[in-house]
Amino acid sequence: MNPLEIDLEHVTFTYEDGVEALTDLNLRVRPGEFIVVLGANGAGKSTLCFLLGGIVPHIYGGRRVGKLSVAGHDPWDEPLYVVAQYCGVLLQDPEVQLFNPSVFTEMAFGPANLKIERSEIIRRIEASIALLHLEGLEKRNPRDLSGGQKQRVALGAVLTMQPRVLVLDEPTSQLDPVGRAEVVEAIHRLKSTGEITIIMTTHETDDILDLADQVVVLDEGKIVLSGTPAQVFSQPEVLRAAGVKVPDALDILIQVNALGDQPVQVTDEQIERMDGRYVGNYTTELIRKGHLEVTRSPETPCNGSANQNPAMLEAVNVTYQYPGYPPVVALQEINLAIRAGELVGIVGQNGSGKSTLVKCFVGLLRPTRGEVRVGGKNISGTPVGRMARQVGLVLQNPDYQLFTVSSRDEILFGLHNIGIEGEEAEQKVNSALDWVGLQDEIETFPFRMSFGDRRKLAVAATVALDPQVLILDEPTTAQDHRGRYQLAEIGRRFRDEGGRTIVMITHDMDLIARYAERLIVMWNGRIILDKPTDEAFAQREVLARTFLRPPVAADVAACLRDLGVSENIITPEGLLSVLRKGKS
Amino acid sequence: MQIPFRYVDRNTIIHRLHPLVKILYILLTLLIILTPLMEVKYVFVPLVWLVMSVILWALAQIEVSRFQTLIKLLTGTFIFLILVQGCTYRWGNTVVLHFFDLRYGETNVGTIKLEGLIFGTMLCLRILTAAVSLPLLVMTTSSSDLVNAFRWLRFPKVATFMIISALSFTTLIFEMWEYITSAQKLRAFDIDRMNPITKLRRAYVPIVTPLVLLLFRKANDFQIALETRAFGTPGDPTVMEDRPFTALDWVMLALILIVFATAQYLRIRLGAMK
Repeated sequence: MNPLEIDLEHVTFTYEDGVEALTDLNLRVRPGEFIVVLGANGAGKSTLCFLLGGIVPHIYGGRRVGKLSVAGHDPWDEPLYVVAQYCGVLLQDPEVQLFNPSVFTEMAFGPANLKIERSEIIRRIEASIALLHLEGLEKRNPRDLSGGQKQRVALGAVLTMQPRVLVLDEPTSQLDPVGRAEVVEAIHRLKSTGEITIIMTTHETDDILDLADQVVVLDEGKIVLSGTPAQVFSQPEVLRAAGVKVPDALDILIQVNALGDQPVQVTDEQIERMDGRYVGNYTTELIRKGHLEVTRSPETPCNGSANQNPAMLEAVNVTYQYPGYPPVVALQEINLAIRAGELVGIVGQNGSGKSTLVKCFVGLLRPTRGEVRVGGKNISGTPVGRMARQVGLVLQNPDYQLFTVSSRDEILFGLHNIGIEGEEAEQKVNSALDWVGLQDEIETFPFRMSFGDRRKLAVAATVALDPQVLILDEPTTAQDHRGRYQLAEIGRRFRDEGGRTIVMITHDMDLIARYAERLIVMWNGRIILDKPTDEAFAQREVLARTFLRPPVAADVAACLRDLGVSENIITPEGLLSVLRKGKS
Repeated sequence: MQIPFRYVDRNTIIHRLHPLVKILYILLTLLIILTPLMEVKYVFVPLVWLVMSVILWALAQIEVSRFQTLIKLLTGTFIFLILVQGCTYRWGNTVVLHFFDLRYGETNVGTIKLEGLIFGTMLCLRILTAAVSLPLLVMTTSSSDLVNAFRWLRFPKVATFMIISALSFTTLIFEMWEYITSAQKLRAFDIDRMNPITKLRRAYVPIVTPLVLLLFRKANDFQIALETRAFGTPGDPTVMEDRPFTALDWVMLALILIVFATAQYLRIRLGAMK
C-alpha cells in the first residue's frame, strides 16, 4: 500500500490542442500535509488541480505520461463521481459552484448524490457549518451572501463529501480583503483538524506562510523550487523569475539582513512569526546591535506632491441609489475633485461604492442626486459613447468586451465608433499596442492570449481612444504578481508620458503604496479618508474600521519610529533608503 | 434592468403553496389558452382565468415594476399583432380605416378590418393569459421545492436539473448582457442611441459574441462544479426535504379547479349562443 496520499512520478500532461501544461512533475505528499503550489498565470497550477481532481481527462481531454496516485487511486481510471469521494475540488469563482437555493441544500447536494443517509448528511452539514463559522446562514440563498461567505459555503459543500484530499484552486483570488481573511481563517481551522490532506494554489503568498508544510513553485509546467516555506522563500530571485511574489514582510527581512551583512537564509521559526511587527522588532534589534544604522528620515513625504492643476473629475453631492427590492444606496453625498495629472488609488471593501463612483464618472450610471463634472462640465446629458473619448474605464474582466478575431480589430472597433478610420486608425492601433507591450500580438486571436495579455489588450483598446482620464477597475483581480505590476506600470507611464489622470481601484495595498500619490478610502457609500497616500496609511484607526491594513513596510516603519524613522514610509524601497550598514 | 422570472423570496400563501398545485395551475392555463376561442363572445373565458391570476399575483405580493421588461415586450408585440391581423385578416369585411388598395390573395392589406382587430385582440388576450400565469411558478417557488415536485412527478434527475440550471442561467444571461453592453458602451459603442435598423445591422455582434463565449465558459465551470460533487452518480439521490400537502394546498387546489370549471362552463354556454 502506498503510504503517500498524493504521488506523482514523472507526470507530463498535454492538452488536446497540443499545449504541454505539466512537464515531468514529481510530487510526494504524506497524509495530513498542507502543500501550497505557487506560480505565475499559465504556470500549470490549475492543470495540476484538475489532474488530481479527475477533471482531466473527464472534462478537459488530454494525454498523460507518468504515474499518478491520489488517496491510493488513479483518478484517470475512475468516473468523476468516484473521484469526488476521495478528492474534493474548490474552484476560484464561488458563483459557479453555488446552484442550490439554500446553504443547507448546497451542502447536502454532494453527499445526497452519493446516497449517504439523511441523518448522516445532516451531521456532516452541522459539522461543516461549525468549522466554517456559517451558523445562522443555513436557510439563506448562497447567492445573497458576501464573497467570503459564498466561498466558505462552497468549501463546506465539498467537505460534506468527506474527501481524503482537498484541492483548493486559488480560493481567495476573487475576494476582497475581508472575504480573503475569512476564507484563510477557515482553511487554518481545517488544517488544524489534521484529518485532511490539502493542496492549494495561490498568488497570495502572504496568506500561506504559516499554513504550508511544503511549498512547490511551478514555472511553465515544471517544478523550479520546492521545500519548506523557509527553504523556498529564502530564494527570492528564483521566485521573482517564476513570477511569484515574495511575501512583503519576508522580502523586507531578507533585504534588511543583506544590508546588515546577516545570513539571508530565513528559518522556519521566523516564517511562522512573519509579519510587519516581527520584521520591525527584528530590524530594531539589528540597529541596537550595530549591524544597521538609521541614516535619515525624510521630513517631506516620500510619496506624493501638491497638485495645483484644475479638477478633471468632480463629484458634487453625488448620491446614487440602485433600484431594487429594497433599493440600495451605493453612494451618499460624495464630494470629490481629482485633478489633472493625479494618480489616485481608491480602496474599500466590496460594496463600499468604488465601482459605482467610477461608473458615474463615465456616465454608465447617472446620479440619483448631485452632479458629476468632467473637465469642469456637467455630464448629465452626455451619452456614454461620447464620454468614452474623455474618460476610459477598463473593467475587471476583459472577456466582457473582446469579440473580434485579432488584437488589431479589437482596437479598431473603438476607433471606428468615434469616427477614426484609415491610416490614422492604424497608427493609433500600433501606438496603443506599443503602450501595453503587445506589438507582436497584433494579429493574434484575443481568446488565444493569456488572461494577463487579454487585460492589457483591453487597456490598449481604451488607451487608443486617447482619453484624458484612465480608470483601472481592480487591475489585480485573478492576476499574478507580475501582471498586477505591469498594468499599474502602464497606468503610471500613461500619466508620466501622456500627462493623463489615472484612477486605480484595488485591494492591493502594496500596489497603492508604490503607485498612488493620493488615497481615497470608501466605506458604505461614503469617502471616509482622502489624503496623500503616505498620510492616509498613517491613519491606522480609520483603516482598521474598514478592515484595511496599511502595507507591511508601513508596519515596520511604525516599529522603528522611536529610532527616528518616519511613519510616512510605506514602501520597502523607502524603508531601505533610511537604513545603512552599521559599524559592527 | 429588472431580471424577469427570478425567484422572489417572500413568505406569502402563494410562496407556501405546494409546488404541485402551482404546476397544476400552469397546466390548466395551457388548456385554457390552447383551446381555439377566436370569436369575441368567448372573451370571458380567458378573462375569468386572467382575473384569478391577477388575484394570485396580488396574494404573492410581487411588485408590478418587476415586469417592466416583460410589459414593454408584450406591448410592442400586441400592437404589432393587432395591426397585422387588422390588415391581413381574410374573413373581415367591416373596414375601419382605409389607407390604400393593395390586394394580396383575397385580402386588401391596405385596410384595417374590425374582424381582424378582434381576432388580433383575442390572440393577444390568450398570450397575456399565458404571460401572466406562467411566471408565477418560477417566481414564487424555490428551486429546491421545484426539484422535489419534479421528483414526485417522476421526472428524470437529469431533466429536472436541466430545468433548474436553465432558470439559474436566465439570471446569469441578463447579468452578463448588462456587463457586456456596459463594456462596449465604454468603447463608444452606444447601443442605446442607435435606431432599431442600425441595432439589427451592427449592434448585436459585439454583444452576442462575448456573451456566447462567456456562456460556454460558465457552462464548463458549472459542469465541473456539478460533476466534482458526484452529480453523475447513478440512481436517485437521498431525499433531504419532503413537503406534505397542507389544508391550504387543498383549499387553493379546490378554488383553482372551480375557476377552471367555471371557465369551461362559460365556453360551452357561449359556444351554444349564436
